[in-house]
Amino acid sequence: MKNVLMATAATLLATSAMADVNIGNPMAMTGPIPDLNAPIAAAVDLAATHVNAQGGMFADGEAFNVIRADSACDPTAAVDAVTKLINVNGVSAIVGPVCSGATIAQAESVAIPAGVLTLSVSASSPAISTMEDGTDLVFRAAASDAYQGVALAELAMANGYSDIAVSYANDDYNAAIAAVFVEAFEGMGGTVTANEAHEPNKASYRSEVATMGGTSDNLALFSYYGSGGITLMRNALETSAFTNFIGADGMLSDELIEQIGAENLMTSTFTTSASDASTPSFAAWAALADEAGVPASDPFVANGYDATFMMALAIEHAGSDDREAIAASLRAIASGPGEVILPGQWAEAKAILAAGGDINYEGAAGNQDFDENGDVAGNFSKSTIVDGAWAAELIQ
Amino acid sequence: MWDAFGFEFVNFYFIPGLVLGCIYALGAIGITLTFGILRFANFAHGEIMMSGAYLTWTMMAIAGAAGLALHPLVAMVPATFIVILLFLGTDRWFYKPFRKEDTIKVVMASFGMMLIIRSAVQVIWGPNQLTFVPGIARPNATLQQITGDLGAMIIMPNKHIFIFAGTVIIVIALSYLLNRTRIGKAMRAVSDSPDLAHVTGIDVDRVIRATWIVGGICAMAAGVFLAMDIQMLETTMGFRMLLPMFAAAILGGIGKPYGAVFGGLVIGLAEELSAYPWIGDAPLLSPGYKTGVAFAIMVIMLIVRPQGLFKGRSF
Repeated sequence: MKNVLMATAATLLATSAMADVNIGNPMAMTGPIPDLNAPIAAAVDLAATHVNAQGGMFADGEAFNVIRADSACDPTAAVDAVTKLINVNGVSAIVGPVCSGATIAQAESVAIPAGVLTLSVSASSPAISTMEDGTDLVFRAAASDAYQGVALAELAMANGYSDIAVSYANDDYNAAIAAVFVEAFEGMGGTVTANEAHEPNKASYRSEVATMGGTSDNLALFSYYGSGGITLMRNALETSAFTNFIGADGMLSDELIEQIGAENLMTSTFTTSASDASTPSFAAWAALADEAGVPASDPFVANGYDATFMMALAIEHAGSDDREAIAASLRAIASGPGEVILPGQWAEAKAILAAGGDINYEGAAGNQDFDENGDVAGNFSKSTIVDGAWAAELIQ
Repeated sequence: MWDAFGFEFVNFYFIPGLVLGCIYALGAIGITLTFGILRFANFAHGEIMMSGAYLTWTMMAIAGAAGLALHPLVAMVPATFIVILLFLGTDRWFYKPFRKEDTIKVVMASFGMMLIIRSAVQVIWGPNQLTFVPGIARPNATLQQITGDLGAMIIMPNKHIFIFAGTVIIVIALSYLLNRTRIGKAMRAVSDSPDLAHVTGIDVDRVIRATWIVGGICAMAAGVFLAMDIQMLETTMGFRMLLPMFAAAILGGIGKPYGAVFGGLVIGLAEELSAYPWIGDAPLLSPGYKTGVAFAIMVIMLIVRPQGLFKGRSF
């Protein structure tokens, strides 16, 4: 009797799960960048809300569920989280890992072997472009640092730095963008006076900044703010080792202002992936985000929305939540030909797809047309302190 | 770029090394005492440090809401009592049931405790970093002036002066406790031989409680000093310190509090000094690898002299 009950319960669970579309969403909820992560997670949820509010998935309006897990911006934690999502929750695809190291590790050890598509919201390491061999399962909705590193080098030149010291955290994201930056900066005729890795999560970086501080006034700092970036910058300011700082997304957080103080950051500039606010897509997104209280222009928030919305479109286009068909569908809905779909236009897209038409999603963060590596082009902004807060300005 | 005033070594390598060494030393005291008296490696020690710093922050925030700006060293006092209760509570409910069992069980219990405390802190205070003291700590101007006149300018922010002074006071108090008081002598006796101590009428349970209290105070101080130094709080700050603190305890000799202090200072200095350009202009060792220095020292010590510098217990 007990066995029968168990079997019935199991069948019920299985059928109720089958009636929904589930995607896995490993985000960096804890770890070094929880501040950056929170609005991105909110954007992911907002996209799911829009899908479900405008008719859900497929003809019978199945629910589109985002199953969240914590990848902690850490390769090991990401592998654990995604293993659980794929094997236990049985998700159809992964929208998520925020950090490059986490994205690469989970794709290589779990998602690719399981044949599950990964669409990262913000992983930007150039290594992700070339990591796949014969499969087409890793995509991202944020631009590669192969471009951002160059943009940063141009910015350094424009700021008048002829020499610069480079310090990077030893992980997939920071080491990769530092390498791109160094090559580009030297290519433009600049001198890199020191190029040192630093270990994340140390209590003190005074010897690091002392060693490099004698060589230049300018520091290019590639680090996550929460795992050493703030401490390193504080140590550099305390010892007056460096005057000017530049860096990328990993450092751009309000946490920096709160911890170090805006008055000490007047000579700092950080770049990040940004949206071109003049496009109709961004206007549509900004209206939706404002209504929901999500900060539309924060780093990677628009990318998070795009990734989730595109994943829902791809599954709708594939006609089922089987893992195999999703990758081809993702390419089909993201680029032309087809009716242009803007953020939030789920009902319109669903109607076109139901009638057998083609769609072309134009995202909030950019046009989101994937190239052969599953990468998208993007814009960048530079942020400086204006009136005690970060003010972003589009540069490319 | 600063002008090299010829005192770069002391200001940027030696003093930071000592600051780090003080924090390691205080943490290692607690580890070595629990290891010596209770005979297990307490993995939850780093989390106790971390929760102590969070509680201190809370005390400061409460006082701040009442319009009172408390110095961390003052706010630390009420927080210490909570941490000691936490220490005693975990011992009573999680470690005591395993005391007669194999050591590995209580080690695993402490490992579980580590994860429980960290998760609890994440639930209560959230996963975001918290600001302990905002802004940049400028060097103490008076000290800079006086030493500058003497031709050896020392650049040291107030927070480091507090950390040094605090560590010296705690180590002196500890040495008084261990050498001059009955309970201190009983602790040393239990550390040397628990059975013999029991036979001579020492109340072992009382000694164990005292160990947790002393270890708790030191862990608390280490956590708050660490937070004062890095000026922020985050939930893995204690765990990151755990392995160097173990290295310090092993280097000094398990069960030897002075050994732990010495080991902590050696590990802290070795980490910072390994990046000094001893030969030529380049760092001797890339700063990215300085954590490895602590463990290289520990491994060499275990091979050459497993009982540690101060003749502690060998494995």
